[in-house]
Amino acid sequence: MDQPEHRLREEVRAFLADSPAGLPRSLDARIEALRGWQARCHRAGYVGRAWPREFGGGGRPPVEQIIVDQELAAAGAPEFVNVVGLDVLGPSLLRFGTEEQRQRHLPPILDASEIWCQGFSEPDAGSDLASLRTSATERDGRFVLSGQKTWVSWGQFARWCGVLARTEKAAPPHRGISMLIVDMQSPGVDVRPMTQITGHAEFCELFFDEVVVPEQNLLGARGDGWKIAMYTLGHERGTAALPRQVKLRTWLDRLAATMARRELDGRGLLDQPGAQVALAQAMIGIEVLRYHAERTVGEFLSGGAVGPDSSSVKLLMAEAEQRLAATAVEVLGPAMEHASADADDEDDEDAFWEETYLYSRAASVYGGTRQIQRNIIADRVLALPRE
Amino acid sequence: MDLRVTDEQSWLSESVDTMLTREWVTPQEVAGATPGQRHRVWEELIAFGAVDIGGTDGLGAAELCLIARALGSHLASVPFLGSAAVRLALAPDAGSLPPGLASVLSGKEAIGVALLEPGRGWTAEGATTSVARGPDGLRIHGAKVAVEQLQAVEHLAVIASLDGGLSLAVVPARHAALATRAQSCFDDTVLMGSARFQGVPVPASSILGGPGARQAADRLLAAGALLAAAEATGAADRVFALACDYAAQRRQFGRPVGSFQALRHLLADAYVRAQSGWSAVRYAAAAFDEGAPDAAQAVSVAKAYVSRGAREVAHTGMQVFGGIAFTAEHPAHRFLRRIGIRAQQFGDAAYHERLLGQALADRARQVPAKASVA
Repeated sequence: MDQPEHRLREEVRAFLADSPAGLPRSLDARIEALRGWQARCHRAGYVGRAWPREFGGGGRPPVEQIIVDQELAAAGAPEFVNVVGLDVLGPSLLRFGTEEQRQRHLPPILDASEIWCQGFSEPDAGSDLASLRTSATERDGRFVLSGQKTWVSWGQFARWCGVLARTEKAAPPHRGISMLIVDMQSPGVDVRPMTQITGHAEFCELFFDEVVVPEQNLLGARGDGWKIAMYTLGHERGTAALPRQVKLRTWLDRLAATMARRELDGRGLLDQPGAQVALAQAMIGIEVLRYHAERTVGEFLSGGAVGPDSSSVKLLMAEAEQRLAATAVEVLGPAMEHASADADDEDDEDAFWEETYLYSRAASVYGGTRQIQRNIIADRVLALPRE
Repeated sequence: MDLRVTDEQSWLSESVDTMLTREWVTPQEVAGATPGQRHRVWEELIAFGAVDIGGTDGLGAAELCLIARALGSHLASVPFLGSAAVRLALAPDAGSLPPGLASVLSGKEAIGVALLEPGRGWTAEGATTSVARGPDGLRIHGAKVAVEQLQAVEHLAVIASLDGGLSLAVVPARHAALATRAQSCFDDTVLMGSARFQGVPVPASSILGGPGARQAADRLLAAGALLAAAEATGAADRVFALACDYAAQRRQFGRPVGSFQALRHLLADAYVRAQSGWSAVRYAAAAFDEGAPDAAQAVSVAKAYVSRGAREVAHTGMQVFGGIAFTAEHPAHRFLRRIGIRAQQFGDAAYHERLLGQALADRARQVPAKASVA
């Protein structure tokens, strides 16, 4: 590890050492606490570290943000509440936004004073995103937006939404889509939270009923929406893996520690047949994710684009997360059947793994399903004949 | 850790690849390769400096893995793995080695690894082959099996017990007290032999004992595992590329079979497995070269992952080829066989998973829930 990297890691660790732990249980209070946490991290220079200084960023090399994110994940710090703004729409604004858009929107993304969500998927346009039907008609210098979006994470807390809408009725599906920056406080926006299998209502359905969007809130040119969406999704896939990997590694260590404390039929869980090998196999998936992400992100950091190989990283990430979570529920065994949210520490541990396991099932669906990632590799990396 | 291939490294692997294309046979012809062809490739590798290892100018694990990968991709059959692994393992101690050992390592002759014993696994611990102290010096007794390239090497690196501990001795591969026999191998393009040591003498200047030997044996196992994994990724990559070409050309139901989603997804998964296996090897090699604290763990991860993954890639390749890959003349089984033996050597996936699992368990018992970062 070189000196500057080491110093940065030490600095973040010192910052984390005197940070408050624990979050309120109620969702509203938790979101407020998370906003405060992100703002505090931003003041310390740990949010948007690689974004330009003129927009509130740190103007540092991208690798430094990855190092910071790894340290935050290793310490079990909560994820930034404005993750969609930071990882998805922010990079799009930086790349495709006008000067005015960037100045207006980037600083509040960084300090979480304005949370962002993304309106991409629709009930009838999931993997086949290009078939989306939400439409925006340009009239007197403004767009009028109507349609329905789904799987909108943090939609109920968001001030802004990056919406993909069809603006060119006559164009081929991929070319007729534009990206609009929609004010969630506009008349005609209806947000309905949906309860997930984990029991939380993290994501929402959005309904747009003739919502007026000023012309200057078009991101990029008309018809560029697909291109922008693919850029942002690729960006997200390419760089999110390294901090995620660290989080998975802390979870693996947590699982091993829990197993070290528990017994089954008078024998420690770590000494049950096959338990150590199961842990090792989960660990191998997590470690290989890191090695592969480091090799491919190395190319990105040295000026290369986040290419279709980010799909490989996405597949490995889902595989590693799902294997770890499935291993946990298997090796923790009968206790999981009685998982409850009692105050008792061990029950909390079971509840954690129950939620982690359920949540892990989404890893091969969100951000482009496992099947879509395979299609991307088959088309763009292997250049196999088209279906 | 920066895992990108440097300009020098890509020059090295392209040169080796070009040489193999020129001097070595195609995968179809590999079973008919002559001793002369093997020898020529080996000479070329030596001329490249493939066994000039360690020190400031010599090759490190990262470069040796690139060479092994190229050899796997061409199914070359030369005494590289042992020759490189022994030198790589002992390079850090080069200054303090007994003179007999040091002179063999600084030379260019081929070395085989005599580690495996009948009925035992890839561990140096408790070797039944032993070095006995007698009035006329040290002598080795015992039996070793699956010594790769036994017929082609000049020296053997022998793991044997000595004074209740371990030792690593280097002896000539041909001696009146050494009975060797060719062994059949799952990959019959790779020479394999068994060796019975019937009092083979070893000068004190050619043997390493004490704590140094323990460390050297651990490093030898790690270096061998790493290079075996690297070679397997090369073989996997090549059979995968052949399968992709075939999928694009072979037509059924009036269209290329590679246009069917069932095959496209199989191939995409194999691609991820092959590429991530190479990433694991690159990382482990870099960790090995740096002497990083997680080097041994990274090697075990790479070896376990590639041993399963490369085989999976070869299986996918054969599935894509269909019936034709079940014929002896088709090269697919050659890659499968090569991957099969590299998967076994220096510990198979299950062996390395056990090591990793034990280390995880030991750590969890000592330090509850300690986070670990790069």
